[in-house]
Order: sequence, then structure tokens, then C-alpha cells
Amino acid sequence: MQTIALIGNPNCGKTTLFNTLTGTTAYVGNWPGVTVEKKEGVVNGHKILDLPGIYSLSPYSPEEKLSRRYILDEQPDLIIDVIDATNLERSLYLTNQLAELGRPLLLVLNMEDLLEKAGIRIDVKRLSQMTGCPVVQISASKGTGIIALLQEIEHSLNQKRLPMQPLFSNFVERYITTIIEDDYLHTIPKGRQMRWAAIKLLEADDLFLSSMPQPPQAFQTYIAQARKELVEHYDDDVQAIIIDQRYKVAEHIAKDCQIKTIQAKQFNFDSIATSKFGAIPLFIAIMAGVFYLSIGLVGGYTTGWLENLFAFASLHIQTFADAVGVHPLLSGILVDGIIAGVGAVLTFVPQLFVLFLLLSVLEDCGYMARIAFIMDRLMRSMGLSGKSIIPLVIGTGCSVPAIMSSRTIEHQKQRELTVIVTPFIPCGAKMPVFALMLTYFFPGKWFIAPLMYLLGIIAVVVTGLLARALDKHKETNAFILELPRYQIPAAKNIWLQTKERTLGFIQKAGTIILLSSIIIYLLSSYSFSLQAVDAELSMLAMLGRIISPLFIPLGFGFWQASVALLTGIAAKESIVSTLSVTIGTASLGAFFTADTALSYMTFILLSSPCIAAISAMFKELGSKRKLLFAVLWQTGFAYLAALLVRYATLLLL
Amino acid sequence: MMQTTMDELTVGQKGAVKAIHAPTQLKRRLMDMGFTKGVGVEIVKLAPMGDPMEVSLRGYHLCLRKAEARAIELR
Repeated sequence: MQTIALIGNPNCGKTTLFNTLTGTTAYVGNWPGVTVEKKEGVVNGHKILDLPGIYSLSPYSPEEKLSRRYILDEQPDLIIDVIDATNLERSLYLTNQLAELGRPLLLVLNMEDLLEKAGIRIDVKRLSQMTGCPVVQISASKGTGIIALLQEIEHSLNQKRLPMQPLFSNFVERYITTIIEDDYLHTIPKGRQMRWAAIKLLEADDLFLSSMPQPPQAFQTYIAQARKELVEHYDDDVQAIIIDQRYKVAEHIAKDCQIKTIQAKQFNFDSIATSKFGAIPLFIAIMAGVFYLSIGLVGGYTTGWLENLFAFASLHIQTFADAVGVHPLLSGILVDGIIAGVGAVLTFVPQLFVLFLLLSVLEDCGYMARIAFIMDRLMRSMGLSGKSIIPLVIGTGCSVPAIMSSRTIEHQKQRELTVIVTPFIPCGAKMPVFALMLTYFFPGKWFIAPLMYLLGIIAVVVTGLLARALDKHKETNAFILELPRYQIPAAKNIWLQTKERTLGFIQKAGTIILLSSIIIYLLSSYSFSLQAVDAELSMLAMLGRIISPLFIPLGFGFWQASVALLTGIAAKESIVSTLSVTIGTASLGAFFTADTALSYMTFILLSSPCIAAISAMFKELGSKRKLLFAVLWQTGFAYLAALLVRYATLLLL
Repeated sequence: MMQTTMDELTVGQKGAVKAIHAPTQLKRRLMDMGFTKGVGVEIVKLAPMGDPMEVSLRGYHLCLRKAEARAIELR
């Protein structure tokens, strides 16, 4: 089995191509030790690996380091470099670095369907001649050129032809040649290219130097001399000179292979999306639209319908069970445990499906980068970055992918702060709790649901402002982000992503929630001496009473609420199922009042997220101490906010 | 002679990169994204709150803050 590595710039259509090539064989994992996603699949019987989207192989970000390490250590049989054909010059900069790694290289010119509109024609033959690589033109989103690509993959795997080395100016090449001829270069690790090693030595690349034995004195002197002469000649540092040289090669190739035709006049969505006055209203309108469509429209229809369905099922199953004389314990587990618990969660599947779908579309079409662009100034004043808005938006669906998407934030402190505040944004799993409470205590008061989102946003802002005020260093940091061309999202990508997230939700209902519903039912029906007792005397009640005094100031110091909070750590959806099992959704009024219901909702909204999100936070924060701080902060904040909300409600009502 | 940096350009103005004055890491980032000596840049627009700025170079669009743009000296 041969291995193929897929690599390219962000937004080059790599994921779409990967999905097209691998079909259903793909699976997603994480690289060992780092939080970079690892996607693997099978194409024509070969293993294909999707490397992270990067602009360069310079080891400055975890993604870049990982891609470089993977290609050098694992020596894939073929590298497929996906190039956005409408962005040839910058793409070739990465291609030039890949060519130096000494693996067979296949260039894929993606987005050929957009070339005409962009006013560009590419001479594929010439490009192949100049790079020494086979070149295939495709459109991953339209699915054209895929058969030719599959043939070329086989061909390249058999031929094992190495790409041509991009040559720099004579002045630089002179030093590279001399270094290659030195005996010391024979000590480089197996599989490394001489030329690549020579460039790394000139650049004084730390990562490479640490893998080499101590060079002899004469060689060290030569390198030092060469570096000094280069710096004097070009009036810049050596690494900058090499980047400059690589871009010169890219410019040269791009100029020779591109034929500019007339660019078609077209409407640019950015004339609204990032305009001075339209941008922010449009952003708010889009987000409101997303919530209206998913929660309002679809949720409004389906929730009631599904609730009736489950109620109907429980009623008939109960009647049937009683008629045939099933033991009340068994029918209780089934009806009051499983159907009540799992059913309460499953009613939210349709609206979450729509929410996940719409968020995927926003992620894939290129609009997210615009949101980061227009919101950066505002986010920065709270110690966050424009890029923090992306996790916050995705967080309305699920905190786990949201926390993972904070990776693109370069600055460590801002990234960590983003990770800590992302769970403040109510995720889809918290919706059932709000829906339950609001329909019971505030029927017809639709404006309270948006207020919960507002409260989440306020928590983000307050935390951000505090962190900024406490930060003594006031470090400045970079915000560099490509604004990719808008594109119609590939249906397959959207479908795969939405399916994955929705199935994850259903899977939880079938596993964690099913199990916890049964356990909760049993614990709430039996005492420690295993006697069937009233819930008040059950094991669950005893356990809940241990922590419930903590919540007396918040107004929900009874054991049912505390137990629900505990099960909520497994999955937030469990809160609703636990309440339905222990209290019963119809008798909430016997326990909660309007003010305590709001305070309960506030506590759930802001306190520590579910275990899946906690482990995602741990991965991104990378330290137990920071994680502990994050969870304590979230929960402490939730406690105070719930207290405030409760007394504010009492004053107002 | 007065130095011009990229943050001083107004929307629609063009320039060519002369040098980058920034700490190593930021300089590498900017150069990796294509800001090398002599490359042409054009300011496309400013974000609604005046910062960051959208720049076009090498046929694509990039946004960066004025603080970073200040590191890019033009000629």
C-alpha cells in the first residue's frame, strides 16, 4: 500500500478534493500530541492523507511544523499539491518548498471553472515543463478532471519522478553548490535532500540544526562567511533572502504560464458584506436568519409534533405493558426512563440539523473571514481577536468544533481566552433546557430566548474586558488573514459536516443519555436498601441533597435540580431528560418559580460545559492548571450571574 | 527623506514594498504571505471601524491591522 499526502494553501479546495477522492472511506482523527486534525482515507487502494492547509513550510505554526515533519519523516510515495489556479503565484511559493523535499510531486490546478471569469488562462504544458511535475487541471466542486487525476496518480506512483529544483539567483546558488560539495553534507539523515539541507544550513534553521552532528570548524567558518556575504549583498537577513528568492521563482513561473484575458465584470458581494454601513447590520441579519430558520421555523413545527409522538408512544406502551402484566420496574425503565429521557432530547434533532447545516454553509462560503475582518476592531477592545468571532459563531451549534476552530488565532493569550469564553455561547444542547423552562414559565414571551444569547455575549465581553485589564504586558499581536474568494459551498462537504455533527448528537442520545436516563430512573426509584420508594427517599435524592445546599441562594436548592446539573456534565441534553424523569415536565411549577427558572437557566448557560467540551478545552489550553482555572471561572461566573438574574427578576416582577 | 509605511495609504492608493521592519516571526509571516521586496500592493478598503485594512497583492486579498501595516515600508 502506497501513501499519498494531500497538501495546499487554505481555501484551495483541498477538503472538497479529499472528499471526492475518498468518498466514504475517510475518517477524522487527531495527530498524536498536537491538536491538528488528521484526515485519512483510501483512494484506488492507496492511503491518502489530508495535511493541514498552510501557506509555507517555515516552522512557525503547529500546522506548518507538522506538515514538514510528516513529509520528511514518513516519506510519502507521492505529494499532491492542490493549487488554486486563480491564485497561481502565491500557491507556487509553497510548491517550490515542497519540490525541495525530494518526494515525487503532482500538481493539481483546482478551480479551473473559475479561471475564465478571473480572466486567466494557464499553459498547463509549460507549467509542467518549468516545474518538472505532472500537472492536472480539475474542478473539485464540479467534479471535472477527476478521472484524469486518478490516472495521473497511478502513473506518478509508478514513475517516482522527482520534481525539478527551483533555482535561485547565481549569487545564492554559488554558496549552495559549495555547501553541497562539502563532506559534512553526507551526515544528513537518510532521505533528506542535499540541496534542502544546504538551504537549511544557510538559513540556520534551528529545527534542522538540532538533528545534525556538530559540524567541523572549517565548515562552520564557511557558513558564517557565506551568511555574512549574503546579508551584505542583499541588505536583509538570510531567511528573508531565501523567501524572496522562492517568490522570485514563483513569479517567474507564474508569469510564463499565465495568459491574462479580459476579466469578466462581476458583482462583488463584499461591496455590501464589508461595507462601512452595511457590514454589521448584515452580519446581525444573517445570524438572526440562521436562528430564525433553525430554531424558530423548523423547531417550531417539529418540536411539538415530536413531543406528541413520544407522549402518544409512552401512553400506549404503558397501557399495553399494564395489560399484559409487565413488571412496573421494566415498564418504568422503558417509559419514564428511556422514552422520557431520550425522547426529550431527540425532539431537538430537526432544528439542530438545520442549525448545523446553515453554520456549515457560512463556514464554507468564505463569509467567516469577512466577519473576522469587520469585527476585529471591536473584538480587540475586549482582548480578543477578529478571528475569535468564528469560534463564537460556531459555538451556537456545538462548543467542541468551536473550541477547535480557535486554533487559527496566532496569539497564545488570545487563543486561550477565546477557548475559555466560547462555552459561554449557548450551544444547541442547551436549547432544550431553555425551551422547556420558557414554554412552561413564560409562554408567549418569545424575547427571553434571545436574551439568553445576549447574556452569553455579555459574559464573553465581561471576561474579555477583565482579562484585558489584568494583562500587564498589553502585548500587541498580529492579525493576518486571507479574504478568500466567495464560493458556492460544495454540497458534499456541507452534507458530510452536517451529517457528522447531527449524528454525533443522536449518538449521544443513544448512548450517554440512554444510559444516564436508565441510571437516573433506577436511582430515583430505589432507596439505598433497594426498596422501591418515593423519589423523595431515593438514592438519587440523597446524593442530590449533598450538593443542593450550595444552590439555595440561587433558588434551586432542591435535589432534583442539583442532580440534573450533575448529569449535565456528561451532556447538557441530559438536564432535560433528568428533570423529566425526576420531576416530570408537567409539574415543573411545583419546584421552580419564574425567578428561579431564570436563575437555573443562567447557571446552566454559563457554568462549566459538558465533558466533551471540557476535553476539547484541555487539548487547546494544554495544561491542567489552565483548564482548572477556566472551569472554575466559568462556574463561578455562572453562580454570580444566576444570583444577579434571580434578584433582578424578583425586583422587576 | 520621509518614509512611507503601508498604513499611511488611503483606500485605492498603490505602492511597492521596500522593506519590512518587524520582529523575526512577524516578518516571516508577512513575507510568507507574499510581502517581498518590490511587490505591488493596493489598499482595497478599511473595515467599518477603520481598522483592519484589506490589501490586494499578488492577485489575492488579505486583511491585516494597521499596526502590522506600519511594519511594511513602501517606496
